[in-house]
Amino acid sequence: MLHEFSYLAPRERNDLLQLLKKHAGQARLLAGGTDLLCEIRLGTDKPAFLLDVKHIPELQDIAWSERDGLSIGAAVTCLEIMRHPVIRKKFPLLAHAAGQIGSAQLRNRATIGGNLCTASPCADLGCSSLALGARVELASVRGTRVIPMKEFFTGVKQTQLQDDEIVQRVLYPPDAAGAAWGMEKLKRIKGHDLAVVSVAIARTAKWLRVGIGSCAPTPVVTADLAPPATVATVVAAARRVIAPIDDVRASREFRLFMVEEFIGRLMARLA
Amino acid sequence: MSTKHSVTVTVNGKRYTREVAGNRTLLRFLREDLGLTGTKEGCGAGECGACTVILNGKAVNSCLVLAPEVDGATIETVEGEARNGKLSKLQEAFHRNHGVQCGFCTPGMLMSVKALLREHPKPTVDQIKEAIEGNFCRCTGYQQIIESVLDATGQLKPKKEELRRV
Repeated sequence: MLHEFSYLAPRERNDLLQLLKKHAGQARLLAGGTDLLCEIRLGTDKPAFLLDVKHIPELQDIAWSERDGLSIGAAVTCLEIMRHPVIRKKFPLLAHAAGQIGSAQLRNRATIGGNLCTASPCADLGCSSLALGARVELASVRGTRVIPMKEFFTGVKQTQLQDDEIVQRVLYPPDAAGAAWGMEKLKRIKGHDLAVVSVAIARTAKWLRVGIGSCAPTPVVTADLAPPATVATVVAAARRVIAPIDDVRASREFRLFMVEEFIGRLMARLA
Repeated sequence: MSTKHSVTVTVNGKRYTREVAGNRTLLRFLREDLGLTGTKEGCGAGECGACTVILNGKAVNSCLVLAPEVDGATIETVEGEARNGKLSKLQEAFHRNHGVQCGFCTPGMLMSVKALLREHPKPTVDQIKEAIEGNFCRCTGYQQIIESVLDATGQLKPKKEELRRV
């Protein structure tokens, strides 16, 4: 059973932001519900209000332009990302990463905004979006602000989001379109599972970046490296940003080993 | 006390309207408010897929959807399969190929497969595996389930006679 809460489904962005301000600290945003409803069921979260964001048109848009790059509304589902022709063509890493999340049933509901706001260290759209240099647009009644995704994540399930703020869009720079890419996700089973280690690489003529999941309190990304980088350089850059721990899924040593292994494999594939 | 929401849905072609609390899941709505107990609760956390239903054409875990979210939606459940006491083609294939053991996962399996077959009328084994990745069969009868789907789509290669007679 879920505890009692009020379910509200505003139709306009401003209504959503007003409601969020009014109930700041007592409300949670409901998108796909694939994380939030589990937390509520477990009793680890007991919001008094659930604000359904799925009826806000601005949060459903996917837009691309040569000048501004790619913009994905926070309530866009993994399925929509996987299938969107422009994303598949210009940001195939993102389409692939969206397909790595959960099972078909979960991907049909789960959203990019939800995956990022849950801010799990293993977020598949975290490490991949970081490699692509994504930024996050936050909105509240006070206005909007855009921050680099790597500043968005601040700890395990912690983000920069204030109580009255939403993630409105995720933005990918035009220079990441068409980047060469590769992603490896280690799971305990072949079926749907969280990443034990995930590594996503994006490379253009100007930069190479590696996003890494499940190896630090947040998804992390290396500094921009100059291509073509050697495997040793990339591994060294990765080692500087990760701090894996022992947990139920793997040991620190195994994670360190797999990060190197995946970087080696992906670099060989990209060469 | 949270306010009640009026929810109107079409389930297996039949329209229902009910007043529900905000915290009612779609799963409980189907089972307890509409009496459609074919859909099962397994884990209640989106892991096992026993509660899979088709919501506006897409397979979803009904334990992770709130009833007020589906106002106006079209839903398909296992009760929509058999017509007038006759199993659907897919159910017959599960029956013929021993795709059912304890049966608890079957309503969800059928819904995941049904959603798959709409997009891929002749799915490959890999496509079948991916479609049922989120449906756990704790009897571990996956092979027969995959064969059931291949059979339902006219793709099952005949086996040796002695094996078929088991």
